[in-house]
Amino acid sequence: MSQTEIRQFNFGPITTHAFNKDRTQVAICPNNNEVQIHQRTAGGWSLIHTLVEHDKLVTSIDWAVESNQIVTCSQDRNAYVWNFDQTNGKWKPTLVLLRFNRAATFVRWSPNETKFAVASGARCIAVCYFDEVNDWWNSKHLKKPIRSTVLSLDWHSNNILLAAGCADFKARVFSAYIKGVDQRPAPTPWGDKLPFNTVCGEFSNGGGGWIHSVAFLPSGDALAITGHDSQITIIYPGQESYAIKTNNLPFLSLLWVNENQLIAAGYDCVPILFERQNDQSWEFSKILDASSKKKNINESSTAFNRFRDLDARGISSRSGSDETELKTIHQNTITSLRPYNGTPGDISHFSSSGLDGRLVIWNFQSLESQFKGLKV
Amino acid sequence: MSFRTIDVDALDEEQLAQEELFVYSDGIEIDPQEALNNVQTKSIEVRNLLTKNNPENALITAINDPPYGLNTTAAKELNAKIVMEVLNSIKATDILPLIKKLSIEQQDILMKYIYRGMAFSGKASDKPKTGASPPPPEPFNSAVLLNWHEKLTEIAGVGCIVRVITDRKTV
Amino acid sequence: MSNTLRPYLAAVRSTLTAALCLENFPSQVVERHNKPEVEARSSPEVVANALTISRNENERVFIEPSVNSIRISIKIKQADDIERILCHKFTRFMMIRAENFIILRRKPIMGYDISFLVTNFHTEQMYKHKLVDFIIQFMEEVDREISEMKLSLNSRARLVAESYLLELYSK
Repeated sequence: MSQTEIRQFNFGPITTHAFNKDRTQVAICPNNNEVQIHQRTAGGWSLIHTLVEHDKLVTSIDWAVESNQIVTCSQDRNAYVWNFDQTNGKWKPTLVLLRFNRAATFVRWSPNETKFAVASGARCIAVCYFDEVNDWWNSKHLKKPIRSTVLSLDWHSNNILLAAGCADFKARVFSAYIKGVDQRPAPTPWGDKLPFNTVCGEFSNGGGGWIHSVAFLPSGDALAITGHDSQITIIYPGQESYAIKTNNLPFLSLLWVNENQLIAAGYDCVPILFERQNDQSWEFSKILDASSKKKNINESSTAFNRFRDLDARGISSRSGSDETELKTIHQNTITSLRPYNGTPGDISHFSSSGLDGRLVIWNFQSLESQFKGLKV
Repeated sequence: MSFRTIDVDALDEEQLAQEELFVYSDGIEIDPQEALNNVQTKSIEVRNLLTKNNPENALITAINDPPYGLNTTAAKELNAKIVMEVLNSIKATDILPLIKKLSIEQQDILMKYIYRGMAFSGKASDKPKTGASPPPPEPFNSAVLLNWHEKLTEIAGVGCIVRVITDRKTV
Repeated sequence: MSNTLRPYLAAVRSTLTAALCLENFPSQVVERHNKPEVEARSSPEVVANALTISRNENERVFIEPSVNSIRISIKIKQADDIERILCHKFTRFMMIRAENFIILRRKPIMGYDISFLVTNFHTEQMYKHKLVDFIIQFMEEVDREISEMKLSLNSRARLVAESYLLELYSK
């Protein structure tokens, strides 16, 4: 497989993306109310399905790879679970009873795919499970002590614990234990008695930024959070936590490669690797974008000319000259990072999508070897 | 017709109020008088260091443990004034090596003071005067502050500015 | 003079780079709405600290960041009445054509001459560094524009006065 595979799916942003099990199909949202499913073909990708049921921006998509179900949520306050109907070859939506009165912002399936959690601007999280009796997806709300929009979620590998990053500068770990659906969990460092809505911890970066992303360590024994204050904090429950203050712009997404390596990406348009040094502190390691050099921002302005052209002559040409483009692979903010190849805790490839409409698949292993001995 | 002017959203208990944000960003409220006393002791110490020609320690002392909180306006003003004094007394050529010696936390605090200085430069007169507060600060020198800002951004990057924007523990 | 312009613009550039980190954020107060939070001010936690960058008491930039929008207000140097009138006419000319400038706000905020409003929809469509360039270039050119206008106004006034007085003289 090639180094990095770049595919321009949309000329506006891709709000989110999710792959199926064998990575032959990808679901993306082209910054509107639709979900597009693209199939990998010999020459690239071709659009095979368009899922239209939402009536406002789709904010998040997650693909349950084992059971082949897609869950989508949107700013229209709803979420749908889509099942593939073999008989007519179409995806069929089922409405989820979310009972939200504000936008749904983020959705993730639990690791064993029996539940999913939907975050919202209504200052709560809905934990949804399938209700056999009524044949629909029902939900229970996690409310206290959330005081603002929930921006991101991550499930612990035990299927019970759920981490949430909120706009009230806090990240919280909740128990999303549902009687009748879940087995009684084994004790974890986060706690051992876990009835629904137990708050196992409340953490902050200390810098007062909105928490954009949360990610459990593959083993589940630690949690990484990142906020709008350009900090990453790695929290070991009951122990010391490590804060990394970076001099970059804020990060929007986190991805654990393995127990000792973490990738973060966001407003800097490049994925950045952080590593644990000698089982001790966490530090910045390198930028995982070979093409990125120092951004040349002191060039003469063409945006001004563009606006002036628009004003004086009514010309609205989009200049695509080299000097305008960034030197990085992504041309705008990276909004989501997903594992592409490998098992949790040992990821060899990962994918990223962002506001530039590009989906990039990065070969982490070869990038790693390429940068060996090259410290920034 | 006064019901039209009632802010109904403010009655929503879930809604975070401006005053609560300080605590949510891990701020700890201190007694205003105590804060002012602390800063006053600090100011004497800083002046001593300055007269002993030790600007490096003077700067570190001035920006360490700044008075945060919502009611500590007097202490904040005094502390800002001390920091500006120190910044003004340091030679332009000494700025870069000095910034390099600061920790990331100290750089963040210094950046907060630089922005505070710029916010109040030149419009000291329209600041409300409270009874016990010291006389309003004299206009700070923007040219000096801009120079510091440039050097600090060079070392600490935009992340430092991002943290000034997000941190509700203002100085 | 121009040696303070460079650090001033550099400070504006780095602050804008740090502040222009926007995302799509649905309103928490009004359902199914999406408003620029810096204007709506409905949730204090998503509006961040405002920063000022000042060159001197007459020239400053005020940057108000929030989760999905940022407001940039510029105070343009006005040394005398003619400059004040020219500046007013010039900014008015632009602001009544605000939609052609995409990010221009129709009305400046109190105490400033011109305001820009950048939302996440703008940063999705346009390169961020180009947006920053646009504002920097605007700041660079507006001073020159106004002093040029002042010069041509003066020379025109001189011409008018001269021809008027010539009429009187010849009689």
